[in-house]
Amino acid sequence: MAMTKSQRRRLTKTIRYAVLTVWAIIAAFPIYWMVATSFKPDNQWFSWPPVYFPDPPTLDNYRNVWLGAQQYAVTQYAISSQKPLASLWNSTVIATTSTFLSVLFGSILAYGVSRYRILSEARMFQLLMLRMIPPIVVVAPLSLYYSAIGLLDSRTGLIIVYFLTTLPYAVWMTKSFIDEVPREVEQAAEILGASRWRTVFEIVLPLIRSGLVATFLFILILTWSEYLLALILTKTQVTTLPIELSKYQGSTEGRVYGRQAALAVGITIPLMVVGLIIRKHLARGFSFGMVRR
Amino acid sequence: MAVAALPTAEMTARKTPLAASRARAIRRFKLSLLLPLIALFLLVLTPVLLLQLYFSFHQWTVYLSTWWDAEYVGFDLFDSVLTDPRFGWAALRSLAFAASSTIGCFVFGFILAYLMYKPFRGQSLYYIIFILPMLTVPVVVAYTAEMMLYRNGPINDAISQLLNVDFQASWLTNPHLALTTAALLEIWNWTPFSFIIMLAGLTSIPKEPIEAAEILGASKWRIFWEVQVPLLRPVILLALVLRFLEAMAEFPKTWALFQGGPGSATETLPVYIFMTTWQYFEISKGAAMSYIVMMLMIAIVLIAIHLLRRERRALDAMYQWRDKGEAVEV
Repeated sequence: MAMTKSQRRRLTKTIRYAVLTVWAIIAAFPIYWMVATSFKPDNQWFSWPPVYFPDPPTLDNYRNVWLGAQQYAVTQYAISSQKPLASLWNSTVIATTSTFLSVLFGSILAYGVSRYRILSEARMFQLLMLRMIPPIVVVAPLSLYYSAIGLLDSRTGLIIVYFLTTLPYAVWMTKSFIDEVPREVEQAAEILGASRWRTVFEIVLPLIRSGLVATFLFILILTWSEYLLALILTKTQVTTLPIELSKYQGSTEGRVYGRQAALAVGITIPLMVVGLIIRKHLARGFSFGMVRR
Repeated sequence: MAVAALPTAEMTARKTPLAASRARAIRRFKLSLLLPLIALFLLVLTPVLLLQLYFSFHQWTVYLSTWWDAEYVGFDLFDSVLTDPRFGWAALRSLAFAASSTIGCFVFGFILAYLMYKPFRGQSLYYIIFILPMLTVPVVVAYTAEMMLYRNGPINDAISQLLNVDFQASWLTNPHLALTTAALLEIWNWTPFSFIIMLAGLTSIPKEPIEAAEILGASKWRIFWEVQVPLLRPVILLALVLRFLEAMAEFPKTWALFQGGPGSATETLPVYIFMTTWQYFEISKGAAMSYIVMMLMIAIVLIAIHLLRRERRALDAMYQWRDKGEAVEV
């Protein structure tokens, strides 16, 4: 069967849009379901047939979860041990601090590697092991060690491990940006008598600041959503948002989907905002700076 | 590596007093750059690895006395782990989970990237929607899955209505299906990873060979297999290797959603280690198990690193070649 060229082109185009749209639905539907459930009144959380559109949409779940407001309706689903705002604060402090440290020391290391070769290529790849070896294999001795030095269940403890596990990303990603900076500027700075540290902080890092921001936001995604280490290294004093969410699983009522969804939406929104801001840099981040656009 | 040393480094070769003091200064500067890393290794990593080694050879549980006078048992713990059929099954499950989800992510990601690498109307909108799953917290993925996959839930309902059959899979409670469900979730969650990597690869491979093949009259199929795929090999390997390693470590979804169940259907290595250590409180057995898994992972990672090093050289060469030619803005 002979098709004209324009017919064939139209067919290709249709197939492309069909496939892409199907996948877009697959990708978006669970996220839609989470958002929709967070607006559903309690009788629609797992009703049969499933309710696809909250009717009527309600803010009760958000009020109850985030404000802990007992006076708002459906108090029987309130869980007393929840401290979402405290967890929000913990998550914010832990994620931003560890990410900041990671990017700061990572970029300094990356500068050293790029310009002074303080780590050989083999060492650079060995650094990746910090990320590639699953953290579960060291977390038990780590928690004993932490309890011995008083870092268990503390923000500092989590900040240190997050710093360690994200360092490879920071070094590799910032190095890929530093490698793109021409050396002439640094040489000029040196001739003008700038100290080495001043060259780093006042010349090189400002030159790659958009790259540093991208690296920061990228690592923020990882530290914000980390689960395993937070689960084991924190108990009652410090909970991060992912752990807060998992408390609903153990709740006696079970299946408090609306509440769970309201909390989940709150955790996910910052992540999506950050991710969409740096969407052009995600490939570089996840591939340790090896794949660029 | 495409890195030429600074002229300062070359000058150190001359043995004048000035150059010597300069060399000292550079050495001191290099050391101070490395200091935080060295400090972290000494203060955090070394004690942790030593503790783990200690527990692998000393039988201790929390019910016993203080940990430092636990009994030395030699290789008994390793023996008990290696002869534990549950451990073997967990290893197999981990490998099956990681391999299947890696391939799944890659196939879907590659298809989507291939359909999207040339500009078309709506491209950026699709791109944004496609990366959303990657930007959800893994625990959130687990709980959202729970909200959707119960027997009368929306997923079964949607499939039933679309296919006009009574579809009632027990995604979460059927032991034969649970690991598949976990792998499907992993695929949903991380296809965006393969997608963005493959898209970046497809948009940055040189155009000339493809154009040349088109002029010579090659079909799209042949261009794909004989020009694009070989050029993409570094990116493909990277996408596969990194995803496989992450999938081997996957814990939040399998744990939060299944806790290893139903039965032991989703008991992967991380889950089994977690249960041994934090539910049965067999710290020592957990440590020995961790040690074995760590060695296994180090072996896998060394192979991965070998592959990545080779492919990164190819990639760097490609980017250099590209950047020397006309700038391709995407």
